[in-house]
Amino acid sequence: MPDALLQKLRTTVGAANVLTGVELSPYVVEGRTPEAAVFPGSIEEVAAVMVLASEVGSPVAPWGGGTAASVGMPAGRAGLVVVLSRLGRLLDHEPGDLTATVEAGMTVETFQAALGRRGQWLSLDPPDADRATVGGVLATNACGPRRHLYGTARDLLIGVTVVTADGSVVKGGGKVVKNVAGYDLPKLFIGSYGTLGVIVEATVKLRPLPEQEELVRVRFDRLKDAGAAVRAVAASDLIPNAVELLDGAAAVGAGLAAGSPPGGVLVVGFDGVREQVDWQRAELARLTGPLGGRDVRPLEAAAWSRLTPAARTAFPTPAATMALAVLPSQVAETMEQGAGIARGRGLSSAWAAHAGVGVVRGALASDPAPKDPAALAAVLAEWRELARAGGGHANLEWAPLAVKSQIAVWDDPGAAGRIMERIKAQLDPRNILNPGRFVAGI
Amino acid sequence: MSTLTDSRKRELRRELESIVGPGAVLSDPDELMVYESDGLTLFRALADFVVFPTSAQHVSAVVKLANRENLPFVARGAGTGLSGGCLPTEGGIVVSMMRMNRVLEVDYDNQIAVVEPGLVNLHLSWKVGPRGYYYAPDPSSQQACTIGGNIANNSGGPHTLKYGVTTNHVLGLEVVMPDGEIVWLGGKTREACGYDLAGVFVGSEGTFGIATRIVVRILRKPQAVKTVLAVFDAIDQASAAVSAIIARGLVPAAMEMIDQLTIQAVEDAFSCGYPRDADAALLIELDGLAVGMDVQAERIVEACRESGAREVRTARSEAERQLLWKGRKSAFGAYGRVSPAYMVMDGVIPRTKLPYVLRRVNEIVAASGLRVGNVFHAGDGNLHPNILYDPRKPGEEARVVAAGAEIMKVCADVGGSISGEHGIGLEKADFMPLIFSVADLALMQRLKSAFNPRGLCNPGKVFPTKKSCVEVGPVAYRPHAIEEKGLAQRF
Ligand SMILES: Cc1cc2nc3c(=O)[nH]c(=O)nc-3n(C[C@H](O)[C@H](O)[C@H](O)COP(=O)(O)OP(=O)(O)OC[C@H]3O[C@@H](n4cnc5c(N)ncnc54)[C@H](O)[C@@H]3O)c2cc1C
Repeated sequence: MPDALLQKLRTTVGAANVLTGVELSPYVVEGRTPEAAVFPGSIEEVAAVMVLASEVGSPVAPWGGGTAASVGMPAGRAGLVVVLSRLGRLLDHEPGDLTATVEAGMTVETFQAALGRRGQWLSLDPPDADRATVGGVLATNACGPRRHLYGTARDLLIGVTVVTADGSVVKGGGKVVKNVAGYDLPKLFIGSYGTLGVIVEATVKLRPLPEQEELVRVRFDRLKDAGAAVRAVAASDLIPNAVELLDGAAAVGAGLAAGSPPGGVLVVGFDGVREQVDWQRAELARLTGPLGGRDVRPLEAAAWSRLTPAARTAFPTPAATMALAVLPSQVAETMEQGAGIARGRGLSSAWAAHAGVGVVRGALASDPAPKDPAALAAVLAEWRELARAGGGHANLEWAPLAVKSQIAVWDDPGAAGRIMERIKAQLDPRNILNPGRFVAGI
Repeated sequence: MSTLTDSRKRELRRELESIVGPGAVLSDPDELMVYESDGLTLFRALADFVVFPTSAQHVSAVVKLANRENLPFVARGAGTGLSGGCLPTEGGIVVSMMRMNRVLEVDYDNQIAVVEPGLVNLHLSWKVGPRGYYYAPDPSSQQACTIGGNIANNSGGPHTLKYGVTTNHVLGLEVVMPDGEIVWLGGKTREACGYDLAGVFVGSEGTFGIATRIVVRILRKPQAVKTVLAVFDAIDQASAAVSAIIARGLVPAAMEMIDQLTIQAVEDAFSCGYPRDADAALLIELDGLAVGMDVQAERIVEACRESGAREVRTARSEAERQLLWKGRKSAFGAYGRVSPAYMVMDGVIPRTKLPYVLRRVNEIVAASGLRVGNVFHAGDGNLHPNILYDPRKPGEEARVVAAGAEIMKVCADVGGSISGEHGIGLEKADFMPLIFSVADLALMQRLKSAFNPRGLCNPGKVFPTKKSCVEVGPVAYRPHAIEEKGLAQRF
């Protein structure tokens, strides 16, 4: 990096807010060290940094809590990491409006705590909430079990402020819960992995905290039967806020089943007033009993945060994890077939799903030690085919670079990929925002 | 504004007929007139052709022809839009989706349906109703408007307070892109692969392409429903009740406000049993599990009483519930009885600003020497001031338009939006700068260029422009055909 640029960055954000050299170790991704990390203290500073970066064509990696930094392909060229941690204020929370505006660098946990003090919450429960920032969660479209009832960021983000590659500060949406003025820019930036702009501020819809909430576990001898139970729940009058399905390995790993691993575990969440939670728990037992469900039992609240990462945490160091989007009715089958594919190549796997919405995660064990990246890639490719066969798709969530170089991280978006490329070219013509990280080589 | 010679027009008509079939092209000015405006009759523009495709291939071929001829084109659903969104502002081809109206697939296990865009909104709920399902977005025009129009405008309705607007229910679309290519955006699964293009397409007001298939979610009908009418002596108390309900942690399915002028109009016209001397009424609906419903209803009643409600009625039967809704739903028909015309506005404000903004709306309209009735989605702050006027009186219409502009400004000033569900279209294009900066609009333009680089797909909409040759006035409000038939009310 030219010294002149470093100098300008220091002048822009203050010398103490530019890290170089050995200080960069927290920002090393896949063994690649950026040239500098800058910590802007305001939206204007983010914009100024983007102007400087775009002048010299330096790649920029927006950085929230770094919890998803290794998702996707690392940039081919080293550049700047723009860390949002100094943009961490809650700007506005009006309980009567059920909305809040927050700077992108605040962690989800801090944000929820502030909202909670006034009886409300953002109905989004991504993993790593203590480190993941609001901006990062939006950029990666992270979520958790409660998406079953409350949806994902696309259902909650009503306004967004973004700094684009050329340093423009742009707003989309607004501050009101219902709004159709202009194109829906919030949707564009959700899940865009920092390739279209740096999210600096967000306005979200909130909900009142539920009076009661309970997570209920049901054990099954066969995963297949647990899958049938998922369908029975969907067709019932129950209004669960989470419907999770785990195979034995994931359930044991997440501490949701003691003793010998069950064939499958169904975990269902309920919220509302006391009577509603009680009635639904009883109804769940009534529905699942005839399908082979037993041992219906409430779980402790700490179990919530163990559900989303349950496949990954089944192994001390998984060799790779993949997220498959399938139809909800195919979840149990996908898990069984996926495990079969791995077994067929001598590998063990663990599976967990947001079953009611068809998001399935599979993790491959690194023990017994996988021979070579090609073997792993072959299993992952078959998993992807499995998702595609049912009309879905699959992305690698985590894998070593050696594996990622053998199988595409992102699934092929088909003809829509061309529109994505055109959007990228329009918004980031010099290709400096996380170049090459995302789908279709974007 | 046709730029075609008569002979060229005849040739193109023949070519269009060879694509969509002989009975599926209109080019005679008398027939084209039917398609010169939508529900907002203030604006009119005449197309060169109206075509009625029955497949994505038809649409694609028509769009390719339009590209070759450099002719603008625009999709049209039922034409119930209230912002002039489907008008052929620069002539060219209107692509009517009304013959593509089938339900292609219903997958109850996965709670999705695949439909063609010309399907009438309510017909989907009819189709899946017998199995205990429904399609949640419920614009008041749902007996007539199409799902294609709904996705273009991201339409809402009374129950969107709890269930969200159209975009929250769309998973994927097959789209004929502005260059004629057929592309899927999103699909049947809940996760996008790459950018959320389905999410970006919804609400793009027909400027990103023409949807030819739509994957939507269908929901299980709730086990129980409870409807409450709260009557207030002061509209500020009704606004306070909205906040009080939210403060108690309750999220009703719907929360609708009806002001005094509207109550009186309704009573004059239909005698629904609303108290004529009330300043405002709130219609609140809860739905969900049967168990716990009474507890929540009691809390609503309590919140209303504490906010000063003089009377709170709870429907004891489905018939009583229908009666309570009748007052709300017949409001617009009632305006028609007390005024020769009215114009509906569509601003959104933060809920907590309701008392102030309602006061300002009344002041602005009074200062114009006109009357206004308010009946709206109070729960999500989506106002619908209806300004009553007489188009035969010289100058009144201009005063309506001016008052409407002032109301939009008030909404923008309190941090709100200029449209909650009707779209920007032609009507509000010039007001976009009230809430968006030059940079915001420039980014939206770039996004549009990615989808619609030549700008032939629905030109002249959304962005401020001078270059359209739309006729404005002197004729203003005419009841939309579906209102005349009593099929819908203008919410
Ligand atoms: C009496 C009355 C009551 C109403 N109540 C409500 C209400 O409660 N809530 C609400 O939100 N709106 C309401 N509206 C407005 C209107 O009904 C909605 O905007 C509706 O979604 C329009 O549907 P349509 O089929 O009539 O579309 P049109 O008016 O024909 O077109 C609307 C827009 O959709 C585009 N379009 C149509 N089909 C397609 C397609 N296949 N692909 C891409 N673009 C397409 C058009 O180009 C245009 O931009 C009401 C209107 C009336 C007249």
